[in-house]
Amino acid sequence: MSMSDLQPQLEYKRFNAFHRWMHFLGMTSFTVLVFTGMPLKYSNASWAQWSMDLIGGPEAAGLLHRVAALVTMVYFISELVYIGIYIVTRRGPLWGDNTIVWSRKDGQDFVNMFRWFFGKGPFPQFERFTYWEKFDFWSLTAGTVIIGGTGLMMWFPVETTKLLPGVALNVALVIHSNEALLAMGVIFIFVHLFSAHGRPESFPIDKVIFTGSIPVEHYREERPLEYAQRLHDGTLNDVLVPARTGATKHVGNVVWWIITFMAMVAAALLAAFILWTVVT
Amino acid sequence: MSVGRSRALSLALLTASFAALVWAGSAGAQMSDQNERCFECHAKADLGTIMVDGEERSLTVDPVAYRASQHGLIDCTGCHIGFKPQAHTEAESEDWLYTARTTACGTCHGDVAAIYAGSTHGQEHAKRGEGAATPDCATCHGSHEIATTDTIAFRRSAVDTCSSCHGGRSGTYLDTYHGKSFALGRPEAAACFDCHTAHGVLPADDPNSAVSSQNVVATCGKCHADANDNFSSYLVHVNAKDPRDSVIVFMTYAFYATLIAVMFTLGGIHSVMYFYRGRKQGMYRRRHEHE
Repeated sequence: MSMSDLQPQLEYKRFNAFHRWMHFLGMTSFTVLVFTGMPLKYSNASWAQWSMDLIGGPEAAGLLHRVAALVTMVYFISELVYIGIYIVTRRGPLWGDNTIVWSRKDGQDFVNMFRWFFGKGPFPQFERFTYWEKFDFWSLTAGTVIIGGTGLMMWFPVETTKLLPGVALNVALVIHSNEALLAMGVIFIFVHLFSAHGRPESFPIDKVIFTGSIPVEHYREERPLEYAQRLHDGTLNDVLVPARTGATKHVGNVVWWIITFMAMVAAALLAAFILWTVVT
Repeated sequence: MSVGRSRALSLALLTASFAALVWAGSAGAQMSDQNERCFECHAKADLGTIMVDGEERSLTVDPVAYRASQHGLIDCTGCHIGFKPQAHTEAESEDWLYTARTTACGTCHGDVAAIYAGSTHGQEHAKRGEGAATPDCATCHGSHEIATTDTIAFRRSAVDTCSSCHGGRSGTYLDTYHGKSFALGRPEAAACFDCHTAHGVLPADDPNSAVSSQNVVATCGKCHADANDNFSSYLVHVNAKDPRDSVIVFMTYAFYATLIAVMFTLGGIHSVMYFYRGRKQGMYRRRHEHE
């Protein structure tokens, strides 16, 4: 019997409960928004009719879309409050190493990544957040403001035109639906689903956003610079937590497999539908 | 079972079902004897066709459908005015057909007929004469199977009728939220005739038009309480891909089309290359050894 069987294994805590809740709310509301919105964008396609029937018609879709939009507003505002508290209490660095804010290193990493793609250099060493994770975060943030703003304009058209000309509503629709397609395609297929879950380091799924922690060895390989810095600063122990064991682990596993499976099938299905519409 | 017996059985079944149909039809509405005489010939499926305006039309009228229609109790000659009961020529038939498509409607629906007569459709119809491609009553409402207009089916068929001539306009209508939700199962969403009116359609530059600058705010206000000038300047018919419709809408569309193409390409390359290099270096296999 080895030591690991007796002692609970330690894991590296990457996300706290707040992060995980934000991801869960974002994931669920985004999926609902996409599925209730895309049939309208592609209303000419044959799949639009039956998927709209499945949802319960345009009125039901409209209601679900607005409920999910409210959930989006709730998590977006929560995130702003969280960032505000983070800044005021200075719980961590805002600029410099290991932040979600862009730095020069991200540009270098991006270039080096393409070098690695063509076998012309080593795999870049990452800090806490890679450039695609930052892209993911900031484009989602920008997208939420853009899609949310234009969505509110169309939700309250009469109020909007008390301030703006009518053509603003035409422009709002074009922005809303295309920004949504961009968000769905780029963030959730290419950047998010692949780069978070499908990339070789985490395939078939990166559980960390659901469980909060990840085996230490694995994390050290993925984010060597953050690990090294914590080792250097002597703060490594702050982020080591016992791995989930027993029932908690199994229940957690089952739940995230179900959620992830559904989300992936849904995303793949809709991506295929839209591709089909664009091609045919 | 022999062939003879099975044929006899089918014949019996056929007779029974026909009897049931006739009974069902006559139970609700007692048709005038006159119509029965018309149907002696015009219920026959093999009656043949007549050429009207270069279009071949069937001379057969389904008595069951006619009786079930809104006009099921009206005499055939109530609409086909001037019909004479002797064997009739094709020219005469054409006349009776046209009468039934517009003129006769005014007998009962005088108010609507007057509005129609003043509309673009009515004026064009009067100018070009019968047989021209201007919509008359029957174009939208149909003839022998005429139905009430407050049904989903009728609203849908009416939009189709509009688009048979105004294809471009209905195309841009279907790009709006009104059109999209109408098409996908919300038939009470505003459609062509809710804004342009059904019978009094006039060009937007006519002050009496429902969509003229004088009236359009009130027209929007039918659904959108508090609608104002700005609200009504919303472009209902705009093709985002055509800069002549609206430069700003086109620019927005073009910007996003470019952005999406670039981002999808870049995202696609990044993902495919990441996958390719990861596989080549055995990273997918190493990952599993960790678990």
